[in-house]
Amino acid sequence: MNKIYYNRRKFVKLSTTAAVGGAAVLSGIGFPKEASAQIQTNNRTLRLGFVGIGGRGSYHLNAALGIEGIEVPAICEVIPKRLQQAKKWIEEAGLPTPRLYDRGVTDFNRLCETEKLDAVICSTSWEWHTPVCLAAMKNDKHCVSEVPIVLTLDEAWQIVETYERTGKWATIGLEGFGQLSLLNMIQKGMLGDIIHAETGYIHDLRFVKFSPDEEPWRLQHSIDRNGNLYPDHPMNKMLPALDINHGDKIEYLVSMSSFGGMLNDYAAIYYKNKNHPLTKTKIALGNYNASLIRTTNGKMMTLIHDTSTPHPRENYRIQGTKGLYVGDATSKKIYIEGLSPVEHEWEPADPYLKEYEHPIAKNYNPPPRRGGEIQGHGGGGTQTPQHWDRLVRALRENKLPDWDVYDSITSSAISPITEASVANKGKAVDFPDFTKGKWKTRPPITLT
Amino acid sequence: MYKKYDRRNFVKLSTSGTFDDADSFRNIFPKEAFPQNQTGSKTLRLGFIGIGGRGSYHLNAALGIEGVEVPAICELKPVRLYQAKRWIEAAGLPTPRLYDRGPEDFKRLCESEDLDAIICCTPWEYHTPVCVAAMKNNKHAVTEVPICITIEEAWEIVEIYESTGKWATMGLEFFYNLPILNMIQKGLFGDIVHAETGYIHDLRMVKFTPEEEPWRLQHSLNRNGNLYPDHPMASMLPALDINHGDRFDYIQSMSSNSVMLNNYAALNYGKDSLYAKAKVSLGDYNASIVRTINGKMMTIIHDTSTPHPREDYRIQGTKGVYLSNGKRIYLEGISPKEHEWEPADKYLKEYAHPVTVNYNPPPRKGGAIQGHGGGGTQTPQHWDRLVRALRENKLPDWDVYDSVTSSAIIPLSCASVANRSQAVDFPDFTKGKWKTSPRINLV
Repeated sequence: MNKIYYNRRKFVKLSTTAAVGGAAVLSGIGFPKEASAQIQTNNRTLRLGFVGIGGRGSYHLNAALGIEGIEVPAICEVIPKRLQQAKKWIEEAGLPTPRLYDRGVTDFNRLCETEKLDAVICSTSWEWHTPVCLAAMKNDKHCVSEVPIVLTLDEAWQIVETYERTGKWATIGLEGFGQLSLLNMIQKGMLGDIIHAETGYIHDLRFVKFSPDEEPWRLQHSIDRNGNLYPDHPMNKMLPALDINHGDKIEYLVSMSSFGGMLNDYAAIYYKNKNHPLTKTKIALGNYNASLIRTTNGKMMTLIHDTSTPHPRENYRIQGTKGLYVGDATSKKIYIEGLSPVEHEWEPADPYLKEYEHPIAKNYNPPPRRGGEIQGHGGGGTQTPQHWDRLVRALRENKLPDWDVYDSITSSAISPITEASVANKGKAVDFPDFTKGKWKTRPPITLT
Repeated sequence: MYKKYDRRNFVKLSTSGTFDDADSFRNIFPKEAFPQNQTGSKTLRLGFIGIGGRGSYHLNAALGIEGVEVPAICELKPVRLYQAKRWIEAAGLPTPRLYDRGPEDFKRLCESEDLDAIICCTPWEYHTPVCVAAMKNNKHAVTEVPICITIEEAWEIVEIYESTGKWATMGLEFFYNLPILNMIQKGLFGDIVHAETGYIHDLRMVKFTPEEEPWRLQHSLNRNGNLYPDHPMASMLPALDINHGDRFDYIQSMSSNSVMLNNYAALNYGKDSLYAKAKVSLGDYNASIVRTINGKMMTIIHDTSTPHPREDYRIQGTKGVYLSNGKRIYLEGISPKEHEWEPADKYLKEYAHPVTVNYNPPPRKGGAIQGHGGGGTQTPQHWDRLVRALRENKLPDWDVYDSVTSSAIIPLSCASVANRSQAVDFPDFTKGKWKTSPRINLV
């Protein structure tokens, strides 16, 4: 199996040295301010370029094409079939035929340098997320990336520095935030001060990792890396709930992995061959990984990563000084001291989750979507997804996206930091302060 | 207030004085192999040390068992001591000798009395000294949890056991989640990858009840880590084969800030009360992650200060997962829907452990059991099993190594918390015997 992302790293080394000189012309560009939002017209045409149009890229493209006033002048994809499919969708939506960028894995550079766009939507394999973001930002475009936005701390700092120099942001904004009713309750003080939150990415992906047509790159990460390889979905609940980068920050973490080998066992089943090379390949990733994370203000997170064992999905538990919530897809329970009817006994959380439904969810009433059901991985609905509606509004109103640059890279930076901890027998690894002190005064994330 | 420091001075003095007596107790190790030639109902002589909430329960449970005698009891508080004396007399047994000359009087009891075992239900800091005094005086010791609160105490217990053949155990703890253990041992979950549970029990009120347990709050003031690992370990130690084919390699522990006990004191005793302002060491939430030599993982929680219902138990193997929250299970290839929970009830019933299914103790003398943990009218199974072990000269369910391993999580987690969650190596109390020790098999 090719170690695709190692090739990419060589490329990054070459390209950063070559392109940094050009960045100066982009300095002095005004930073988007939340305060100056409403002076922009709300329906101005947005020009988006799509880089990487696989499962998630198809979904995003399809969602975007349903929104009035969006143009897609340029698309970039290495697999011809996917590129032509995307081109067809754009034409069918009544938009001009896009320019196609298909000259290999780094052709996004040409797209970013050539095209005039408001933003790039990046749904490539993980290892290209940061290079695409940097190419976009350095060429006067915002960048919206699938998760994770970075794989290394070096990448994280490059994104911060490029943002602070150019005013163009990079975000995992299409991730949205999870468990909004609960966030609403927390922000109204129902659980008191938060003490501890626990969730994870517990998703049996053995099958996905062995789908070479869909994601030929995913398995390689498990072969090469040991830690929490996918922190952003759980962080979309915990980061706003714990006010990370908004009054508090992550201080340090420790991470531990169990033995591995489930993927070897699965290879024998998948290939119906006990001697298939992948049954013997050394897999770095432990079957189960847990990280303990402490914040500067003394809150705690337990963050799990398990993509190899057989299981239903993860749950979410959050404990405050006044009560706690535990929930998963089929069971949602709450206990609030002085409010729940029986002392130290659960009650069903549903009435609370309904009563405290977040205003942005309750009031969500997007313009009708053009076209039918959304295609691609995550699709199915006939309404514009709220993360897309919010992204488009942010772009049109010159606002920051829901996940700003600092929050985005903080979330994804958990991966390399857990890897460093696992590799050193769980040693505590300090978390960089990407905000350089601004976390102290940044207000809690309020979604309006 | 800092009673346990006084106690430590005592330990230091007393161990230097009595250790060489140990030789005379050699060569009398209980063997699992030769139990049945003993009579099944020989009279057992038990001494009780510490007869508060749990001690009352244990005494009351013991008095309901045919052939158990209680010739000696030791307790600081007269009202408790005489209550215990009355119970023993009411059970038709001879009046016990009373040991009431202060907190070290258990030593005189251990030196003077001829007993099969002592039952220790003192505050935590006396558990090891009582066990040590008993073992050195030719008695087994059964203690409430935790059996030790320092690593030195753990080693002391191991060494005295190995030199005297008298064991110390927290055997009245028994093991939990037996149907799950049964399923694990039958291979339904495959190889265990990870287990998680904890002691999540809001004890704010208990910590502020000086009549009941005046010593408990002090531990929260002085120590930060997992202060009470043995209940969760009663589920996880046998499930993970700790000391029986695998062992703990190292532990890392992290605590949150501490606000809850100060807040509780302020609310109940006023903002200016002593404990509203006292520095509390114990973080409100503590989590430890533990790795075994064979690469299994365990997450163990300690939270006795926040408002909550009790903890969950989750155990993940290579073939499936069980979650006590809602009693749900998923077994690959067996559960009807891929990656979806099914109710665990039918499995828990089908795989009810034989020791549970077949439990049919002799009728208990007397009425409902009194004390903390009581209420039933049947002899509790942990008591039945302990009495059988003593009568048949078998090891108790928790042997010495398993007992000290479980409680050793306390000092090791505290050491990790104090060093920014640094990995702390777990001592191998078995000195290599874990490699060949067979898995815990309850019959």
